[in-house]
Amino acid sequence: MIRRAHHLQEERLLDSYLAERNREPLDPPVAEHLADCASCSTRYAELTAFMDTLRRDGDAEADAIFTPERLRLQQQQIARRLAHVGRPTRVLSFPGRIVQRTMAASASRTASRWVAAAAAAGLFVGVAVGASFQWRSQRQSRPTFFAADSGSARTARTAPVAARGSIPADVVSDDVFLSDLEIALERPHTRELLAFDALTPHVREISDQR
Amino acid sequence: MSDMRTARDADVAPRATDDQRDPVVPSAAAAHRGVAAPLSEDSTLAVEIRGLVERGEMDEARERFGELVTLHQRRASRIAYQYLRDSSDADEVVQDAFLKVFSHIASYREAWPFEVWFTRILINGCLDRRKARSRRERWFVGGEISSADEARASAASPATDPEHRLLARERRARLARAIDRLDGRQRTVFMLCHYGDSTPREVSVMTGLKESTVRVHLFRAARKLRGLLGGRP
Repeated sequence: MIRRAHHLQEERLLDSYLAERNREPLDPPVAEHLADCASCSTRYAELTAFMDTLRRDGDAEADAIFTPERLRLQQQQIARRLAHVGRPTRVLSFPGRIVQRTMAASASRTASRWVAAAAAAGLFVGVAVGASFQWRSQRQSRPTFFAADSGSARTARTAPVAARGSIPADVVSDDVFLSDLEIALERPHTRELLAFDALTPHVREISDQR
Repeated sequence: MSDMRTARDADVAPRATDDQRDPVVPSAAAAHRGVAAPLSEDSTLAVEIRGLVERGEMDEARERFGELVTLHQRRASRIAYQYLRDSSDADEVVQDAFLKVFSHIASYREAWPFEVWFTRILINGCLDRRKARSRRERWFVGGEISSADEARASAASPATDPEHRLLARERRARLARAIDRLDGRQRTVFMLCHYGDSTPREVSVMTGLKESTVRVHLFRAARKLRGLLGGRP
């Protein structure tokens, strides 16, 4: 136990390793002990081998990545960046011609925008006026129908029907609807439907047969 | 990540606590702790570039700066790659770090080795990038190692046997996972010592931590890695 206490501690071994690596003289008592004690000598050898392998591996890995070529490129890059250090900042001046051209281009762009805006406004106004005109005309025509329904007033459209005798108003409107339908069916506008039209009996023909 | 605030705030808003010291303007103690008496090659070069910039000879300064880039480029790329595990990110961080160095070369003081000053800036960039990435990954699922990087690493592997290549690939993935599981401060200290070839004293100056604290973190990181990797990587 006493003998073991005299063995070198790990810290002393590491110090010895560092001293040896940095080519500094070893502490004389430590050097003496290492020469005499096989156990400490083995431990020291193990530590040295471990540290040397770590270092060798690390250096080899870094050197494989930072090859001489890469270091040369790095140096060039540093030189390039250094060229700008200590020099006053350069202010880029824009040539007047380019500025004028840019201004003219922007003015024509502004004019075209105005034209587009005016066209859009005109379209909007046209649609609005058209809609209001239609609404107004619908509003004017609506009382005639109500008048025909109620029978209180006579319009130009309902007057001949009313004059025929005592036919109810809904029968009159059905009659008008059917005649409109008949006119529409008499003249099909689609060429493809002409054949069907020829084969199909018309409302008037049916009513005549009756 | 929060435990690396010292390095994170290196050139912006340093906070001085027991373990954390002003990283931009080195204190006398820090300078004493971390600096060798004669100026190294890169530090001499940095002082020359600073003089050129102060005299307004920018073209000459840029040309000399190229030499400085050549001296530190490989090491910076290794550290950044191990930290970020993505070659594109690492590339950008390295470029940004060099640009930052050139832009702020007037604030460089030879009391510190140039390597220390530069590494602080680089680590800050890496931490910023990791932070931004973790913010992104809250919403998007990201791979640990990009497939392009993995393909490049596999292609450059000395093993021609597919089985060995596969084993090497698995080993790298295990190692990356294990390093990722380290505590933020442990990871930074381990990276700088192990992959950045820095001594604990230099790491102490870079991070603003005490040298004894750096050693403790390094020891804990190594022990944890051995535990995670089962004694062998």
